[in-house]
Order: sequence, then C-alpha cells, then structure tokens
Amino acid sequence: MSSEFEISRSITIGQYVPTDSYIHRLDPRVKLLLFVVIVVAIAFNTSYIGNAIGLFLSLYLFWASKIPISYGLSGVKPAIPFIIILALLQLLFQGQLFSGGKVYVDYGFILITSESIRLVVVSAVRFIEIIFLSSVLTLSTSTTQLTHSIQSLLSPLKKINFPVHEISLITTISIRFVPTFAIEMEKMMKAQASRGADFGTGGWWRIIQRTKETFPIIIPLFNIALSRAEDLILAMESRCYTPGGNRSSYSVYKTLAKDYLVLLVGLLFAYLLIFYPFPF
Amino acid sequence: MGARPIIQVENLSHTYMKGTPLEHVALKGANLYVEEGECIAIIGHTGSGKSTLIQHFNGLMRPESGKVIIDGVDLSKKKVDVKTLRQKVGLVFQNPEDQIFEKIIGDDIAYGPFKLGLPLKEVRERVKWAMSVVGLDFEQMKDRQTFALSGGQKRKVALAGILALKPKILVLDEPTAGLDPKSRNELLEKIKRLNREEKLTVIFVSHNMEEVAMLADRIYVMAGGKDVLCGTPKEIFTDKEKLQLHHIGTPETVQVLYRLTDLGYKVSVDAFSISEATEEIIKVLHGTKEDLEDVQRV
Ligand SMILES: Nc1ncnc2c1ncn2[C@@H]1O[C@H](COP(=O)(O)OP(=O)(O)OP(=O)(O)O)[C@@H](O)[C@H]1O
Ligand SMILES: [Mg+2]
Repeated sequence: MSSEFEISRSITIGQYVPTDSYIHRLDPRVKLLLFVVIVVAIAFNTSYIGNAIGLFLSLYLFWASKIPISYGLSGVKPAIPFIIILALLQLLFQGQLFSGGKVYVDYGFILITSESIRLVVVSAVRFIEIIFLSSVLTLSTSTTQLTHSIQSLLSPLKKINFPVHEISLITTISIRFVPTFAIEMEKMMKAQASRGADFGTGGWWRIIQRTKETFPIIIPLFNIALSRAEDLILAMESRCYTPGGNRSSYSVYKTLAKDYLVLLVGLLFAYLLIFYPFPF
Repeated sequence: MGARPIIQVENLSHTYMKGTPLEHVALKGANLYVEEGECIAIIGHTGSGKSTLIQHFNGLMRPESGKVIIDGVDLSKKKVDVKTLRQKVGLVFQNPEDQIFEKIIGDDIAYGPFKLGLPLKEVRERVKWAMSVVGLDFEQMKDRQTFALSGGQKRKVALAGILALKPKILVLDEPTAGLDPKSRNELLEKIKRLNREEKLTVIFVSHNMEEVAMLADRIYVMAGGKDVLCGTPKEIFTDKEKLQLHHIGTPETVQVLYRLTDLGYKVSVDAFSISEATEEIIKVLHGTKEDLEDVQRV
C-alpha cells in the first residue's frame, strides 16, 4: 500500500539498469536490429505456439540480462486494463472479420469462433511480448548506446538527405524521458493529493474513476514537459551542441564474432516465427 | 505546551523502488515523537532521509514497516481517511516547483480550500489571509502567472497554498531555502507566531542552524535513515563530542563562543541566541583583570 504514488516503479521502458550481463555487453546495434526484426516477426505470427515461443524468449532475455522478471512484470501491470478492454472489444465486435473454425456463439452481431478467440488471445500475448522486449532493450542499453546505434543503422539514409542524427536524437530523448515524466507525474499527484485531491482511492480495476482522476494532472504535465524541454535545450546549447554538426564519438563499437553469432541466431529465430507453419 | 502526543513514529523503514534493481533504502528504523504545539526541527545530511520521513506525516507514503500515528490515526492500517489527514497535516515540499500546478497564483492557493468544499467568500478570505502570512500582496499578486515567478516567490506561494488549508500540523521541508535574508526573517517570525500564538504544531527540515536555534523546541538529527540524536537546541549544540561524531554544524554564535572557550575565556556555550551571545561577548570584553591574566597564562 506504500506505493500509492510510486508510478515510476512500474515504468520499465527507458530505465537503464546496469547489471553488466552478457546482453548488456552485446553490440547495441545488433541488439536494436534484432529487436526490430523480432518485433516484426511476432507481429506476423498468428499461432498459439509461435507466440508462446516468443513469450518464452522475452522472459529468457530478462533472465539472461540479470534483470528480475518481477521487474518486467511490473511494467506490464499498468497495461493490463487496456489489454483487457482491447481483448473484449475484439472478441465482441470483430468476430465477423475473423470468422472461421468452430463457431461457439452466434448471437446477433456477436460471433465468437475459434479463430476470433485465437485473434484475441494472440494479440494480447503479442502486446505483452512487445512490452517485455522493449523493456529488455532499454533496460540493458544506455541512452548513448541507443542513440549511436539508431544513428548507425539509419546512416545509409543520409545519402537521401534524411536527418539521421536528429531523428536518432529525438527518438532516444523521448525514450529517456518516459521515466522522468513518470516521476514528474508522481510529484504532481502528490502535490494535488496534499491539498485534498482524491487519488488512488479506487482499485486499479475501476477504470473510469481512475481515468477521471488523471485529467487534472495532464495539463500541468504538459507545462512541465515544455519547461523540461526548454531546460534541455539550454543545457545542450551551453555545451555547444549544434544540430547538423559533424561529431566524432567517444566509444567506438566493434562487432565481434559473438555479436555476429547472436545476430545469426536471432535472424533465424525471426525467420522461423514468420515462415514456419506452426500446427496450432 | 500540551502533553498530548500528536505524531508518533516508531521504527519506520522505507525502500524506494522496492523489488526492482534500482531499489534504495531511504529509512531504516526511524523514530520520532512530537507533542501538540511543539516546534520540531529535523536536521541531517543530504540524503539522510528527512524528506522521506516527513512525507509519511500526511499519508503520501505509508509505513512499509514500523508505525506512524498521527493525532491518534494509525497510518499502517489499510483504511485511513487520507483526505481529512491531509487537511490536518499541511506539507510544504522541498521544491516549490513540485507543489504549484495552477496557472494563476490565486487559483493555486485557492485549490485546497475549494477541495474542502468551502463557500467562495470563505475561500477568498483564506487566500487573502494565507498570502498576507507569507508576505505576498493580495491585490498585486493574485492574478500573476505562477510560472513567471522567482524561486523565492514560488516558495511563498507554495507555503500559502498549504496555509490556506488551515492545518493543525505544519510540516515544512527547508522553508527558507532560496529566500533573501529579509524575507527569511519575516517568514521565520511568522512561523514562530503561528506556533506560539495559534498553537500550530510545526515540524521543519533545515540546514540552517541559526534558524534551528531560533525556532525549535527540540531537534532531531537524522543520519543514514535513522534518528541518531534528539534534544533541545541547548542539549544538542553544547554536546561537542556528538556534534563532531555526527558532523553537525552549529549556529555561528555557538562557533564564536566555542572559539572563545578554546582561547580560555570563560563563556557559557549554550548562549546561542544572538542577544545572549552578545551579552557573553560583552562580558568578555569588559572582563576583569584576573580573567585576562588567566587567559594569558593559558
Ligand atoms: N523517488 C525516489 N526514488 C529513489 N530513491 C529516492 C527517491 N527519493 C529519494 N531517494 C533516495 O532516498 C534517500 C533519502 O532521500 P531524502 O530525499 O529523504 O533525503 P533528505 O534527507 O531529504 O536529503 P536533502 O537534505 O538533500 O533534502 C536518498 O539517498 C535519495 O537518493
Ligand atoms: Mg530533502
């Protein structure tokens, strides 16, 4: 009960946890590339077995990067209401689109078949897998590493005048600021609660009440976000940051044999997820 | 001073980000006891857990282990009327920026009274009163934007926002940080008056020992998430060993008096209010011949 206002505890995206595991020491570019490829593969896979394997993989990655799985689970918890609502909506209203297989319920516009159930279950599991995977990626990769790897993966686009550096900077700043905003939101809620606002008096399942409670925080949070952005600009400019400038980097990443090995295994895995005809 | 306990903290512990790789133990077995109408100072090094401790007083944090009893309400119980508690215990944060969320000063200060469901007229009265206590001009400041304020003005607005709740217990986290000497003294006088005249129980965190010596009935010293020392300013500031052991600073007056004793003058080091210290020093200056000879021998 002591965590009424501890939102930051359940934000696992954008929080770097240095445990110096095998995963941490992988080439960040390999990690990022595999992340993208595997997320796409998971999005393609519609079988129960395939997604079970994907879920298993994402849990394994937590274990391999020496980050407690309970921490990963706490990142999924706030998403549970959304997953449930989404699943219900899909189950009730999208049955017609994905009819097929055995028919369980056929009542007016509601059509529930084994195929539509599969769709619902698989998309919920997919959602969880993707939260897990992105958590592992950001938990095991520092902001600098992420920036560099986005930049180097996108660098071929420089030829067509695509602002690679700017895009990678923007991406990493936004990821980096997720936990920061969780902390700001926590403070805002504490400030309002201290002066008589109701927060956290209903359980997490009382979605409407909890949603209403968040409205008065959102606008001040925007103000904070803007002033944070201004501060960041000042901080960067005072260290002589110029957009578009040519800069060298302090750490140079070398892709070693083990990185290629991991890359190979990962690509193979993604290939299987997409093309292997899982029986179930 | 009433002898009724109003805040009791027993063996309180708190861990931030518990159960995550980033967990951090901020409190480990802190104790505190405050009687109604007292003025208590909490001092201690940066990171010793002062802010964490005081956030328990209005139920923003709940005891993870140990006990917190506020005016007879046990906060370790699951069902606590936090709304009433937060009206009773006004907590001013360390960072005023964290506390102000409305766009206009007047709205921000009125937020608490509105939430209490008071009629408009009463709300207005309270805002006026709160602003006058902290030394903000009502007519001039009520329509100013909150983001365009100086640090010290923000601090005043934040304090006014809490005072407008008319709390029974006022908890202040470094209330004078960032204020100029004049506003600082005015504010301290106001706090003192609220404590002495309106019988408000005041608990404040401070790094400024002059302030502590001037206001506090008793001092709690925190170190490493625990209370390591407690006593009246006299007891704390005259215990040289403990001061050194816990690296506690002393008011400048005490420092001067200690220097004088080190040099062999006979002064009492517990005279740390400015007027008392002045008297001691005058005594030294007008000292008798014998005293001076004594000093020369040393
Ligand atoms: N939200 C948080 N998450 C994680 N750790 C925290 C958080 N807030 C505080 N801490 C840690 O808890 C410890 C105690 O913090 P606290 O703010 O209570 O210290 P303090 O005594 O008020 O210090 P100061 O004099 O600097 O205000 C510190 O080591 C701090 O790093
Ligand atoms: Mg503090």
